[in-house]
Amino acid sequence: MGATFTVAWREYASFFRSSIGWLVIALYLFLSGLFASDTIIPGQPATMRDLFSLSHWLLLIVAPAISMRLLSEELRSGTIESLMTAPISDWHIVMGKYLAALAFLVTMLLPTLAHVGVIELLASPDYGPILAGYLGLILVGACYLAVGLFFSSLTRNQIVAFLSTLFFFVLLAFVSSQNVAVRVDDPLRSLLFGLSINLRIADFAKGVFDTSHAAFFLAIVVLFVVLSVVGVESRRWR
Amino acid sequence: MIEVDHVHKSFGKVYAVRGVSFSVPKGSVVGVLGPNGAGKSTTIRMITGTVPPTRGSVRVDGLDSIDQSLKVRRRLGYLPESNPLYPEMRVTDFLAFRARLFGLSGKARKAGMDRAISRCWLDDVRSRRVGQLSKGYRQRVGLAAAMLHDPPVLILDEPTSGLDPAQIAETRQLIRELAGDHTMLIVSHILPEVEKSCDRLLIFARGQIQADGSADDLLRDLAQKQGFSLEVRGTDGNPKTALAAMPRIERVETDPNGRSGDGRHALRVIVEKSADDPGAIIGDACHELRLTVRSLRPATATLEALYIRLVEQADKATAKVSEQSKPESEAA
Repeated sequence: MGATFTVAWREYASFFRSSIGWLVIALYLFLSGLFASDTIIPGQPATMRDLFSLSHWLLLIVAPAISMRLLSEELRSGTIESLMTAPISDWHIVMGKYLAALAFLVTMLLPTLAHVGVIELLASPDYGPILAGYLGLILVGACYLAVGLFFSSLTRNQIVAFLSTLFFFVLLAFVSSQNVAVRVDDPLRSLLFGLSINLRIADFAKGVFDTSHAAFFLAIVVLFVVLSVVGVESRRWR
Repeated sequence: MIEVDHVHKSFGKVYAVRGVSFSVPKGSVVGVLGPNGAGKSTTIRMITGTVPPTRGSVRVDGLDSIDQSLKVRRRLGYLPESNPLYPEMRVTDFLAFRARLFGLSGKARKAGMDRAISRCWLDDVRSRRVGQLSKGYRQRVGLAAAMLHDPPVLILDEPTSGLDPAQIAETRQLIRELAGDHTMLIVSHILPEVEKSCDRLLIFARGQIQADGSADDLLRDLAQKQGFSLEVRGTDGNPKTALAAMPRIERVETDPNGRSGDGRHALRVIVEKSADDPGAIIGDACHELRLTVRSLRPATATLEALYIRLVEQADKATAKVSEQSKPESEAA
């Protein structure tokens, strides 16, 4: 466990040592703040629904930007060799990287608590949906990051890692969309709808926290973290 | 102690290492030489456990480099050839990170860092960012990182690359100091460097070890093979065949570099390996044949000449093998 945290802490700190971490945070806060700025309307319910549904879309861009460097940068600079010759397992390396990315995501979301403060000042918000919304954001983000981590274990090129992750989710959104999934027959149709991230996101944004959704995202996280370990391990056999 | 036992490594159909065996006893310093692509780095990666051998086994202090990889890695201090570092980190942060990876905490970590910093002359730059350091300093940071946990076995791939002559001398001194209680494997392109710092040399070419021995032994062997340059003035007949017929003389060749003609003969004389004083044997033979010796000197044996000779031999042998195997593969 110690080795995982050592790797994670170095990675987390390096987000802030390089410009990329600050840029990603600034971009996210700027866009989310911009679009959520006219959502407080007198007479309307005080919710953060718009911020959450917008954030889900922003995460599709922001999360791959966080994850793209995790292993690709180590592969490009050759530092992966010094990690692989340290007395830690490939699991420690991958888990450390993943936890750092997750911690960075949470750090990025923290300033949006200001929105909660503003709503609290102006009205009496219902905290249930807000909590569900945040949990949803973190779960979806965790899922994007795990897939991004996997793609970054395969290439030394960060741009390739970024675009592969983006393409993966765009493709997933396409095949599980209303337009495509309804054209096929049932066992496949319900499978495709089941894979839909958008349908689950819509529930979270509404403030519905469904455990089956949580299980879905966690399963993807586990699957892709394991695949990332395989990706790193496969370097030893090439 | 490092034991490499009949190790092969292939990448697809290409053999990078073909049947390499050697051992580095505790406390000795072994230098690894060879051209690029000779299989040196792959062999080192198999020792560090980064790459498993296709066949054969590697043991470090009796532990298998694959089955007991984590234990082996704990005993190894490794400076990779590319010396990969995190440029955005400060020197002390980087060393602390490496120390934590090796399980050092608290006092042990601080002691390890202080020792590595002072031994690698990093005091002046300890709070600088790695990316801002000169190549020489970065090399020393890599070296410091390799010795943080005071490993019994050190593997240094090009430890002096990017260093100036003064720093090279300091590093050589450091290697000598560490030699006593550390087992060391040093890869280098710089021949005099290896000649000075290592007890024993391994010369790699074409995925195999072409020579294994101390610099002195290898050079003595080379000197024997290269023989003596002899210039004689002959009376009648051919001094080359006459000399070749004399006892204890193995072979006589025309010296391609010498000048012959006008009654003078420039020859290359190779004496039997067992001869103690080959110069005297040649002198006596000339005396007996009534040849006037104009000059007699051993051909200069340098590590460079040895290196070039071995690499050329390996290249020729490989070319031969591939030529022989061609018709077979075409028939198949």
